[in-house]
Amino acid sequence: MKRNLGCGLVVAILLACLAGAQRVGEAAPDFRATDSSAQIHKLSEYRGKFVVLEWHNNGCPYTRKHYESGNMQRLQKEWTGRGVIWFTVISSAPGQQGFVTAKQENDYLKQMSASPTAALLDPQGDVGRAYAAKTTPHMFIVNPNGVLIYDGAIDNKATTDQGDIATATNYVSQALEEAMASKPVSTPTSRPYGCSVKYAH
Amino acid sequence: MSDRLVTRVTCSVLVGAVGFFLATVTPAENPADEHVKVELVSEKDAIVPTEQVWLGIRFDLEEGWHTYWVNPGDSGEPPRIEWQLPTGFQVGSIEWPYPARLSTPPFVDYGYEHQVLLSVPVLPPSGLNEGTTAEITARIHYLVCHDVCIPGRKQLLLSLPVKNHAAPGANLLLFEETRKRQPKATPKGWKVSAASVGGEFLLTLKTGKLPVDPQFFPLEPEQIENAAPQNVTLTPGGVQLHLKKSNHLLKPLSRIRGLMVVSGTAYWLDVPVSQSPRGVQMQFMKN
Repeated sequence: MKRNLGCGLVVAILLACLAGAQRVGEAAPDFRATDSSAQIHKLSEYRGKFVVLEWHNNGCPYTRKHYESGNMQRLQKEWTGRGVIWFTVISSAPGQQGFVTAKQENDYLKQMSASPTAALLDPQGDVGRAYAAKTTPHMFIVNPNGVLIYDGAIDNKATTDQGDIATATNYVSQALEEAMASKPVSTPTSRPYGCSVKYAH
Repeated sequence: MSDRLVTRVTCSVLVGAVGFFLATVTPAENPADEHVKVELVSEKDAIVPTEQVWLGIRFDLEEGWHTYWVNPGDSGEPPRIEWQLPTGFQVGSIEWPYPARLSTPPFVDYGYEHQVLLSVPVLPPSGLNEGTTAEITARIHYLVCHDVCIPGRKQLLLSLPVKNHAAPGANLLLFEETRKRQPKATPKGWKVSAASVGGEFLLTLKTGKLPVDPQFFPLEPEQIENAAPQNVTLTPGGVQLHLKKSNHLLKPLSRIRGLMVVSGTAYWLDVPVSQSPRGVQMQFMKN
């Protein structure tokens, strides 16, 4: 009787664990989201390609570090040039820092010379919550089989200082290089650093 | 004409360069100043050769704003201090007072509201001349957040006279209060163990008497889910804390390190994590 109770609890805990957010090595949650040009994107439509998800808030000093230095744009250009799908995802709720209309986002992309494949507008936070996106930036990589292979920071220098970019290890580029060479990703998770994602309360 | 253009271009480049230089060094250009006052302070009013003195950075934060502990939790960044001290002075690292759990669902950060002192021990050398002044500089980088975050950067100066005797400084009480919030070694009578059980770490504390309001603060990021509630179970002679594992933890954890705060006092914990599934069932059967 007691033993059964014990086993039951263990099973309950295991189930609770499985019900949690995705992990690296598991299938990335599928999503459907509208971009700033009113196109609808479904993650599962991009099987066969690497997909990068970049959580974004244009007012956050950590996001600004990587845009005002041109670092994020360089990454977008390089990796989309190599066949990667790059989604900038904006999960700021209306009234919160980083919330943008489609037009505002298109103006921003133009002004910053940013070239993600698309900027996904997620004001309800559905995509953000499915991935447990915590910070801006917070980066995820999905491999051509739809498996999550990276979840974490953009690089290993958790500061707002643009001067740190040159000497930082960029975890996104490192993971993509390794995965494209069929090598295991050496740093599959890291602490994402930045401002908290401004979800609706 | 073209000469004048060249001159004008050169001038504007120079002015631009000077402007950039000023922008990076002038405290008036520090937007975080609106929400936090930072000051370099000393526990004593003078430097005495070979006598340890505590210096610190005092943050006075506007209501609703916070800064961060060494592990900031789900977002944010801890303050950093670069010291410039006269020759021969030795400086220790920050003795972080224990933080508060700052909850903004779905996130939890670890940090400080209202006021915090980040103090360090400083040891002056022998052979300092009485009547001279020790000039101490701290360059600090920090982040303050409310709904939004603002990074700050400042250079703080403190001049202290060299004397053969020091009296308490104006911030003595703050240093004393801060010391009460700095973690202590685990008491000898405690028995602490940790076990990895499915999606949780179970931290078992036998303290002899019932710990009031136990809370665990992980020293390392990405080991536990910061925002998960830390459920507490009473056990004979102590408590058991349920800590949800981080999704980012891909390998078994060999040790768990952090602060255990009970009854308003923080203790350092550094315990091996047992992976035995047999131990798991035993723990459940006891309940």
